[in-house]
Amino acid sequence: MMATTLLWPIIFPAVMAIILFLIPARIKLVREVLAVLSSVVMLYLGFSLFLLKNLSLKTNWLGMGINFDFRLYQFSAFILLALSGFLFLIVLYSTIKMKDHPRIREYYAYVFLAAAFSNGAVLANNFVLLVFFWEAILITTYALITLGLKPTSHRTAVKSLIIGGLCDFSMIMGIGLIWASTGTLTMDQVHLEPYGLAAAAFILMMIGAIGKAGAMPFHTWIPDAALDAPVTFMAFMPASFEKLLGIYLLARISLDFFELKVGSPMAMVLLIIGAATIVLAVFMALIQKDLKKLLSFHAISQVGYMILGIGTAIPIGIAGGIFHMINHAMYKTGLFLSAGSVEHRTGTTELKKLGGLAREMPWTAFGFSVCALAISGVWPLNGFVSKEMVFHGALETGYPIFAIAAWVGAIFTFASFLKAGHSVFFGPRSTEVPKTRESQWSIVLPILILAILCITFGVYNKLPLENFIQPVVAGHAEPGQHIDLAAGALNLFTPIAGVSMLCLLIALGLHFYGWKQGGKKAYLASEPIHRLPVLHQLYDLSEARFFDIYEQGVKFLAWLSRMLFKFIDRPIDFIYEKVVVSIGRFFTVLFQKAHNGQYGNYLAWTIGGLIVVVWVILKLLQ
Amino acid sequence: MKVETITQLIIFIPLLGSLLVPLAGAISPKLRSFWSVLIGGITAFLPLTLITQALKGGEILWSKRLALGLDFVLIIDPLSIFMSIVSSFIGFLIIVYSLGYIHHEEHQNEYYLMVVMFIGSMMGLVFSGSLVFIYLFWEIIAIACWRLIGFYRQKDYVLKADKAFLMTFGGAVVMLLGFILIYAQTGTFDLTAMRGVAIPGSAVLLILFGLFSKSATVPLHTWLPDAGVAPTTVTALLHAAVLVKIGVYAYARLFLYTFKIPAAWQQAVIIMAVISSLIAAAGAVVENDIKRILAYSTISQIGYIFLGLSVANPTAVSGSLLYILMHGLAKAGLFLCAGIVIHSTNKRDIREMGGLIRTMPMTAISFLICAFSVIGLPPLGGFFSKLLVIMGAIKANQIWVAALALFTAILTMYYLMRVFSLVFLGELKVSAPEKTPSMVGVVTVLALFSVLAGFFVSYPMKLVQLATTHITWWLR
Repeated sequence: MMATTLLWPIIFPAVMAIILFLIPARIKLVREVLAVLSSVVMLYLGFSLFLLKNLSLKTNWLGMGINFDFRLYQFSAFILLALSGFLFLIVLYSTIKMKDHPRIREYYAYVFLAAAFSNGAVLANNFVLLVFFWEAILITTYALITLGLKPTSHRTAVKSLIIGGLCDFSMIMGIGLIWASTGTLTMDQVHLEPYGLAAAAFILMMIGAIGKAGAMPFHTWIPDAALDAPVTFMAFMPASFEKLLGIYLLARISLDFFELKVGSPMAMVLLIIGAATIVLAVFMALIQKDLKKLLSFHAISQVGYMILGIGTAIPIGIAGGIFHMINHAMYKTGLFLSAGSVEHRTGTTELKKLGGLAREMPWTAFGFSVCALAISGVWPLNGFVSKEMVFHGALETGYPIFAIAAWVGAIFTFASFLKAGHSVFFGPRSTEVPKTRESQWSIVLPILILAILCITFGVYNKLPLENFIQPVVAGHAEPGQHIDLAAGALNLFTPIAGVSMLCLLIALGLHFYGWKQGGKKAYLASEPIHRLPVLHQLYDLSEARFFDIYEQGVKFLAWLSRMLFKFIDRPIDFIYEKVVVSIGRFFTVLFQKAHNGQYGNYLAWTIGGLIVVVWVILKLLQ
Repeated sequence: MKVETITQLIIFIPLLGSLLVPLAGAISPKLRSFWSVLIGGITAFLPLTLITQALKGGEILWSKRLALGLDFVLIIDPLSIFMSIVSSFIGFLIIVYSLGYIHHEEHQNEYYLMVVMFIGSMMGLVFSGSLVFIYLFWEIIAIACWRLIGFYRQKDYVLKADKAFLMTFGGAVVMLLGFILIYAQTGTFDLTAMRGVAIPGSAVLLILFGLFSKSATVPLHTWLPDAGVAPTTVTALLHAAVLVKIGVYAYARLFLYTFKIPAAWQQAVIIMAVISSLIAAAGAVVENDIKRILAYSTISQIGYIFLGLSVANPTAVSGSLLYILMHGLAKAGLFLCAGIVIHSTNKRDIREMGGLIRTMPMTAISFLICAFSVIGLPPLGGFFSKLLVIMGAIKANQIWVAALALFTAILTMYYLMRVFSLVFLGELKVSAPEKTPSMVGVVTVLALFSVLAGFFVSYPMKLVQLATTHITWWLR
């Protein structure tokens, strides 16, 4: 096949974005059909490129080693396929959910543009090209959040833009350092040992990657967006696309661009960020009272597992991290789409107002439950398999603390999903929402597809592990070591699996206790933990955005600016406005005195001046 | 036509044509508008015909002997051609926009006279290869600038115009001393005869006064925010097309193309540029007047251009030259959008505006696109210029400078998004319709160009690369 085929996943959605934008808002059916058809074409492209595996394209672009350079290989082909799959599901879902959105033309345009940029970022084989596509996604993210049309939507959009900008600028810095030390910008030619300056480059690039994935502390816009942005955006960006991209890049940084060694300082950095993200975000998720916001905190917490997995720098851990990425994208998208389905029918996602919807919305309830069990790591779903791999890797690093953090995360993940599922779909039927029925097929179908995928990837884990994951880590195993990830992946009778199951039981106990304490109201099940002494104060501070890097950062920027303005800029202006002017005035007054109105005086000045002029000219002519 | 003839036409058509503006105005305002647009159009079109010459690389020198060694020398190389295309094109768009903006004001004869002469002397300065003529055009520009900033004639406005004039003039006089020092050393004003000459730090310092005052770099910058009292078209002209780009252009012409300067001074400029950029960005965060914010933003962006030029490796220099184009397009767009807003609401404090996206959607979207370009977000053009400057700085081992420059980029993002949110979003405080088609059309064109310049960056980049290899000949 022609190498230019590689440009199709980028150009096609970009062109479709323009076409979909130009179709007048009134013509609904044509746009929806066209959007779904294009996403099917994208899926087809994704499949055919995945089967193709190896392809590259390189032409000159800006000179100086900045080339228009694309490369398809097993990893990027896998991510490309995944991206197009999620695009298809979300577009299908949007045909109903976003049907009456007043700015629907923009919506599809941004979604397809984001897809084009994401595909470009995945295929790029030149760092500048990568940053170009990578950072361009920011604008589509920004625009999609504003489509939430809430009063605070734009604020959140700017927040995402500035946090994203911070991460991407740090990535540019990292790329610059890589360029300065290796002299090349071609991605597959870079392989550094992360020490000294290269370590700084590693950290800076990593910030770009985990920032996109939404790890702490670059996560704070996601919970805000959960309320301010359309729910389809949440399923599209933070749940699937950004995770896939961020973890893809992180994996490439740790495996390809740099050589991450087990227990090395850089690996420790990743492990710490991963563990902190898991634990802190899951504690925030636990106490949320809104389904979408609860899900958004899990979208952050789960990134922790992926980063932790990659940070172990052990093949099984890395594989677990990457496998967790794809699994997470599936169940988290499924969960957000179920939340959207509930919102679609009832108009709310507040846990307090919902309850007992399982009878009226059985398919949504089924999809939600499967995805929720998957994210909690219940046997034999996909989440179980990938989490076990991460636990395994974390233990093998020799620092059990990271495995413990991961297990703590597992406890509260399950507890919060018990709470969420219990409050929305089970328990007594709430009286606050009127009687309703199941959502349309194009909403339910994506959810069910994702739920079935969660089961498939769990029960038949051999399929994804051998086709997608194993090839990626194969090159990084010890020579002669054969990796068979699928063997024993579902084994329940190992110590690690035992601990995991114990965690689930603890979660069940916690939920039951909280439910009892809260007067059998499921949405209050997390209150006992919420009200724990020290934790309570921390929760309050966090609700007041005290730990929000953006809020504090913006305050800092404003303060710094005021200082610079007040103590440097204004004093400089003072010199011109006041000092210079008064000196000028002083001399004016002085010279005024020379004008006394007498002829002799003026004559003397004139002759004196003439002599000076002549002297200067003579001097110059010499 | 010969390249030299075209170049002379580029300079003299607007310079002489501007003098006929009052005559046309005396006949009818329509004729005056037509004449100004015509002259502006020709001046914008002619440099485009030089692109083929630029793509050949190399340079054409032309000179006319005049008395006292004050030869009139023209340098026609990719750098001057690139610069003339950018300036005249943006200048032309601003003339078109003026038709709507200025049409009910007094003194229109003088306005168009000065604007066209402004562009003409810019063309003269760009192609001049002699220190004397650079100084001459430099001061014509200062005078035109002085008249235009004080266009509204209020007492305090005129004072601001005086401030701008005196500061830039003061800088230019000091620069002239530097020129004389160089003359004393080499005995010529002809740049083409002095290539590769090492000049002492004292001359560099004196000349830098001129460059920094014209290009509004800290600590010689405070006249630029104050010059915001001018009509917005003039501000756009000063910021995007002509005035503040003179300093950076002259830097490239004098300190890269012609002279060798001491390494310590090069490092000093690097540091001053990045500090200027940061302090100005801070000013933009603090200010509330939309034009002052944009003015500080210009100072901040000029810092990047100086940074790239003073780093002086091919990456950074080509980034800087590209920056002149990208910043010109985007900043002109921002100012002209601000002009529409100010014109319709009669307000300049962004805290008193709000919700204008509902009544003027095209302006709002153009503003946002141009803002993204200034911030340096892909896929817009500003991304590449900023990226190249910063990558160049890192490659030259200026790691902390690059980090500071990126930090400034975050500040840029912060203040521009603040302006956008306050002016165009939130509740509608002053309802005002969008303005005439010529005004909205121009801002849309500028926004569109910012987008196209991003997607098709390889075309301007080709020219920029040629200019870079040409002026950094000493690297070969």
